[in-house]
Amino acid sequence: MGDKPIWEQIGSSFVQHYYQLFDTDRTQLGSIYIDASCLTWEGQQFQGKAAIVEKLSSLPFTKIAHSITAQDHQPTPDSCILSMVVGQLKADDDPIMGFHQSFILKNINEAWVCTNDMFRLALHNFG
Amino acid sequence: MAEKPIWEQIGSGFVQHYYHQFDTDRVKLADLYTDASCLTWEGEGFQGKNAIMTKLNSLPFQTIQHSITAQDHHPTPDNCVMSMVMGQLKADQDQVMGFQQVFLLKNLDNKWVCTNDMFRLALHNFGA
Repeated sequence: MGDKPIWEQIGSSFVQHYYQLFDTDRTQLGSIYIDASCLTWEGQQFQGKAAIVEKLSSLPFTKIAHSITAQDHQPTPDSCILSMVVGQLKADDDPIMGFHQSFILKNINEAWVCTNDMFRLALHNFG
Repeated sequence: MAEKPIWEQIGSGFVQHYYHQFDTDRVKLADLYTDASCLTWEGEGFQGKNAIMTKLNSLPFQTIQHSITAQDHHPTPDNCVMSMVMGQLKADQDQVMGFQQVFLLKNLDNKWVCTNDMFRLALHNFGA
C-alpha cells in the first residue's frame, strides 16, 4: 500500500489541527502563525501574528464548526506546502455556509507554521 | 493616490492574463507553466508542463468563460506571489458553476510563471 506523499501528510495534519483549534479555542491559533504571517479574511488584510490573532479572536460568534468537503496539498519550489480547503461552516444558529481557504506552510525551526492564509465565504446568489 | 502593492499588481495581472488565455486559446497557457509546475484539477494531480497542458487541452468543452467574483494576493516569504480566486464559469451550454483556484507565482528569468495551481468547482448540494 502506497503511503501518502509527505507534503500531503503534513498538509492534512495541519488542516485538521487548524480547524480543531479554530472550533474549540481560537485564542490558541497564535501558535501556528509567525510574526511575518499574512491573513486575508474576506478581502481584509491582517499582517503579523498579533493582528491575525486579534482578528480571529474577535469574530462575532460563540460557537463554530468547520466541515471539510475537499482538500488539496502540493509541495512548492521553495520547500513550502500549499494547501487549499473547500468546506462548510456553521456559526451559532446561522445557516450553514460554504467557505474556501488557502494556506502556505513553511518549516521554521523544525515546526510547520502558516505564513500565508486566505479565507473567503462562498457567496449565495439569490438573484 | 496610493498605488496597489507590487504583489497585487503582479497577481491581478497574472490572473487577468490566465483567464483571458484560458477562455480564448488554452494552448497558449503553456507559457505560464514550467517543467516543475504542479496542477491539482478537481483533486487529480498533474506534474510538469506537458502533463498539465495535456490535461487542460483535453477538457471536454468547446467554449468557456470565467468571471472573477473575488481575488486575493499575498507576497510569500520566498519572494513568490500567492493568489486565490473565487468566481463563476460557464462552459458551452452547461449551467453557470462556481469555482475556486489558487496560484503560486514565481519570478524566473524576469518572467512570472505559475509553479503551483489548484482548481476546484463549487459543488451543488442537491440533497439538502
